[in-house]
Amino acid sequence: MDDFGQSIPKTIGAWEAREADRVFDRATLYDYMDGGAEVYLAFDFRGVWTRRYAGPDGRELTLDIYDMGSPAEAFGIFSCDREDPEAGIGQASEYGFGLLRFWQGRYFVTLTAAEDDEKSQKAVLDIGKAVVGLLGPPGLKPDMVDYLPSGSLLADRTSFFHSNVNLNNRYFLASENILGLDRSTDCVFAEYDAAAEEAGCLLVVRYPDAAKAEAARRSFLAAYLPEAGAEGLARTENKKWVLALRKEAVLVVVFEAPDADWARTLASSVPAFKSPSR
Amino acid sequence: MPPIITRRDFLKGTTAVVLGAHLARAQEPAVAKKARVVLIRHAGVLDDNSAINPAILQGMLDEAVTRLLDESDPVAAFGRLVKPGETVGIKTNVWSFLPTPKELEAAIKRRLMDAGIAEDKIGFDDHTVRTNPLFVNATSLINVRPLRTHYLSGMSGTIKNYIMFAESQPDYHPDSCADLGALFKLPIVQGKTRLNILCALTPQFHGRGPHHFSRRYVWAYKGLIVGQDPVAVDTIGLRLTMAKRREVLGKAQELPPVPKHIQLADTRHGIGTSDINAIELIKLGWGDDILV
Repeated sequence: MDDFGQSIPKTIGAWEAREADRVFDRATLYDYMDGGAEVYLAFDFRGVWTRRYAGPDGRELTLDIYDMGSPAEAFGIFSCDREDPEAGIGQASEYGFGLLRFWQGRYFVTLTAAEDDEKSQKAVLDIGKAVVGLLGPPGLKPDMVDYLPSGSLLADRTSFFHSNVNLNNRYFLASENILGLDRSTDCVFAEYDAAAEEAGCLLVVRYPDAAKAEAARRSFLAAYLPEAGAEGLARTENKKWVLALRKEAVLVVVFEAPDADWARTLASSVPAFKSPSR
Repeated sequence: MPPIITRRDFLKGTTAVVLGAHLARAQEPAVAKKARVVLIRHAGVLDDNSAINPAILQGMLDEAVTRLLDESDPVAAFGRLVKPGETVGIKTNVWSFLPTPKELEAAIKRRLMDAGIAEDKIGFDDHTVRTNPLFVNATSLINVRPLRTHYLSGMSGTIKNYIMFAESQPDYHPDSCADLGALFKLPIVQGKTRLNILCALTPQFHGRGPHHFSRRYVWAYKGLIVGQDPVAVDTIGLRLTMAKRREVLGKAQELPPVPKHIQLADTRHGIGTSDINAIELIKLGWGDDILV
């Protein structure tokens, strides 16, 4: 983990770092986070450097810089939790309610203000802009993201991850890991404009080999879609369609499809993604 | 293995059934004693800035515990929970974004002293309970913390509040913290918990960011959920959380992923009941937008 202690200004405007900076790694992340650590550990997280700034009238904000090991992983952790408007910082960002999130190269950065007022918002954005230039050049997103069918793709709603904890926080599927996801699987969850302001969803999982992908398909159909026939297609209780098919080592699942053909068309346009992204 | 809850259970409207009414256990509802949980709310306990009115909060605690134990007054009720001469550890939660309110700690301490516990035999702690001499020597525990969601365990309630009693916290993280119920069987804890209080003054129903906290997902519910059975208390807390998520985030995000530890605390570890049909929920006070 790089030591940003010297390169990042300790005073920015009226905000000042008054406490010692801290660094946490995979073994100690639990000491820093109550609840979020597993979400980071499900990626190739290497370490986090953190500093707290004190501002006017007792305001506080916290800067966290996460070394995610690679740009693909940094994009991944950023992409799993998007809700707010773009803030124009780094390779992609968002700001809302005192929280700035962005990614740049192999780093994922958050700035969290305890208050959500104008002073705090300005400080968060100013510090974010001061930090981004110190994080090195941009990096590439995971290859799977670039090769998604692009027709009606809602680009800002695409997430990349590996594990079940991330899938369930993005799109709750099941209380058990019925797709057999772990650090060895690459997953993309994407949303598509499906008509009438409703989004159809696409989950693509690349397994280490075809046998694991087939085992996952069978597990998924048994637990989630037992009425599906050989095609792996069924209509669910919300009158939407779900389709699961395997392409070599890749499992493709379409959720929330408005009709069966929409699901078939989307699923058939997904490539097999042979090359690993990491 | 517990039943698998899937997204389709939400679509069918059977989530609550899967979560709370697993009636396969051999239990005769007609004769089995139900786990009593009191939900008490007061519109005036928080002002517009979420500052707590200590007197109203004391009254809420008093009324809840008195009704919980069918006693005539709060001192008598707390006298049922603890006896003079005991050492009482109050397991709080110091999470900076949403800690156990000091006013609630003070209200508990006052009634413990009224019940005859010496002030120097009452301790508050969170992170160092394992090594804190008062907790090591405690004969009774009171478990009190705010209600909130959690990335991994789905919900942080009274069951999860005891994770600081574990020698290794990560040991309890696998499978969405499935085995948190085992914490109540640790020697430092087993058989000592007299009261569980889930503080729902300003519960958090969803989380974001590195610390899973955003003020946009906290609301002024102005309640306390009180019981002697931590599983029953958390079952009600989960129902409240799900109701709020359904209202704000929509049906598809009703369940915070994935609070299986509450049900497993019952079916696997046997420390209480998560069966909604075996819980007697008593609602007291303010009823607006009660959700459960």
